[in-house]
Amino acid sequence: MAPLRILILGGTGFIGPHQVEYALSRGHTVTLFNRGKTNPGLFPNVEKLIGDRNAPDGYAALKGRTWDVVIDNPVQVPRWVREAGAVLAPNVGQYVFVSTLSTYKTRAKIGMTEMDTDMLNTPSAPDATEQSATYGERKVRGEIDARETFGVNKTLVVRPGLIVGPGDLTDRFSYWPIRIEQGGEVLAPGTADDPVAFIDQRDLSEFIVRLCEQRAMGTYNVVGQGTTMSDMLYGCKAVTTSDACFTWVDADFVAEKKLRPYADLPVWMPPRGTSAGWARMDVSKSVKAGLTCRPLAETARDTLTFYHAQTPERQAALKAGLAPDREKQVLAEWHAKTGR
Amino acid sequence: MLVLGGTGYIGPHLVSHALARGHAVTLFNRGKTKPGLFPKAEQLIGDRNAADGHAALRGRAWDVVFDLPTTNPQWIVNAADALKGNVGQYVFVSSTGAYKDYTRSFPDETHPVMDPAPIDGPTAATASYGAKKSRCEQLVMEAFGAGGTVVRPGLIVGPGDLTDRFTYWPVRIERGGEILAPGTPDDPAQWIDVRDLTEWMVRLGESRTTGIFNAVGPRTICGIGELLYGIKSCFANDAQFTWVPQPFLAEQKVRSWGDMPVWSYPGASTVAFCTSVIEKAVAAGLTFRPLATTVRDAMTWYHARPAAEQERLRAGIAPEREREVLALWHTRRGDG
Repeated sequence: MAPLRILILGGTGFIGPHQVEYALSRGHTVTLFNRGKTNPGLFPNVEKLIGDRNAPDGYAALKGRTWDVVIDNPVQVPRWVREAGAVLAPNVGQYVFVSTLSTYKTRAKIGMTEMDTDMLNTPSAPDATEQSATYGERKVRGEIDARETFGVNKTLVVRPGLIVGPGDLTDRFSYWPIRIEQGGEVLAPGTADDPVAFIDQRDLSEFIVRLCEQRAMGTYNVVGQGTTMSDMLYGCKAVTTSDACFTWVDADFVAEKKLRPYADLPVWMPPRGTSAGWARMDVSKSVKAGLTCRPLAETARDTLTFYHAQTPERQAALKAGLAPDREKQVLAEWHAKTGR
Repeated sequence: MLVLGGTGYIGPHLVSHALARGHAVTLFNRGKTKPGLFPKAEQLIGDRNAADGHAALRGRAWDVVFDLPTTNPQWIVNAADALKGNVGQYVFVSSTGAYKDYTRSFPDETHPVMDPAPIDGPTAATASYGAKKSRCEQLVMEAFGAGGTVVRPGLIVGPGDLTDRFTYWPVRIERGGEILAPGTPDDPAQWIDVRDLTEWMVRLGESRTTGIFNAVGPRTICGIGELLYGIKSCFANDAQFTWVPQPFLAEQKVRSWGDMPVWSYPGASTVAFCTSVIEKAVAAGLTFRPLATTVRDAMTWYHARPAAEQERLRAGIAPEREREVLALWHTRRGDG
């Protein structure tokens, strides 16, 4: 395989740095394009072009250059896609739009695939802002605009589910290894067999680079499959020396206590109703194309290492998960109700 | 420190840790297994089965003696005869298998042990493992008094384990596919990493902590589910567990321990082996590695073994029998 010249838009945030490292390790040439403000010291030997996608003529640095592949990681508003296209479309062989499974309006159906286009959100207006449309609606618009701007035959749309691992600042997956490491009785929502799905940022980044190497076009849903709450919780415990034990609190009681799935109890969604298929997507298309997922123990261990390197203030201010007092209280109420 | 044995499974772990901690270590054994393993340790030769086999120990003094391999009470009698008065602490590795009434859950160190086996005579050799360990414990405490220390581990696991009881699970899970999982995830299971055990024993010697201790983990008993899901997290494959209830397994003559290692269930004859209370050892400094570390190191060791050994595990259900039982279970449940 001939090395690729890859332009990465963004590249310094959560999923960027590993993607850059992996692409370099595979022999590709990488150029980064961003504002130069986030982690400017990263990758001193990689070419960096500076520009602000929100500024007038912000893409000037890209003009007149050609690349085999451009990977667009951070798109928040649809116009970024068209503006990037105006400069890059004639000069690149492939445009990779990193979308999201939030493009789906509902995940009531179990085993959804890339073919279930009728389940997608209505696309936002082309000029939508973060205020005027939901994230999912804007990303659907981004996908459409990507295909229109770069051409269907040059566009790869990758839709990851919950992206986790070291570097994640949302703390959604991270809550679990962190909470489990603290030990004691841990409130575990739902049942041990409830499905959960996420993707380690490194597995995602590596898969994207390999898709580019294959010159794969089209749409790929990218998330782990076959994982249960038991796998996740005991897997996190296995990398700690914690004395944690789990008390499974059923979905009805969780709802009664107004604990929010995915927020207070991150990663988990009750496997029923509109979220019946939440964690049961059929991603066999991606698996066939070479998606691999590293062992959960590795994700959990590296997430904890990342967490412990944060400042004490940041460590104490998790952005997802149950507050300790609230967890204790709900557990006490659960024990009182069940007599266990 | 004097180590009796020291070249088998737990011995090398103990010796290397003791040396790493800066202790002077003397090994006493026949000199036949792995000779030269520890060039930094003094080597004394003797055969504990021979008349005056402990002669090399006479007239020497040690702060701590670790007796690792003994099941034969006569060995304790002979060692005590050679060492008594010259050692500060004598640490004997017994087993939770010494407990009487194995079906009782949650034995602490005060739980009655088996009636001790005779030291000699016609029935000495044929006595049960637990009865022999029980007699050995009694002899140690009598001979060494306040310096007597009895450590009762449960299943000792990790690199070097030739019984394959723990190892069966990571090996099986690494192979992936549908896996027969016994009973329910909450059924009790206990084990201890050989390094957690031996490092703690060295610390017992350093702190001169004496007495009788259960020594097994994990810190809290979560059940066999913790073990199996925890092991699964160390691999990236399609492994899935099918939990088959104990009565069906009994019907199929799939046995706890032999076929389904590490697993016990309420009412089983092995339940004490999986539910020992460990608060005393924890208070005395016993700590536990992450399960993922044990799994990784056990598998590194396993993959370095000869291919023939890797193929023929000494514990765990055979693959074809596992498939058969799973098929029968699916038929019974009507989802086959």
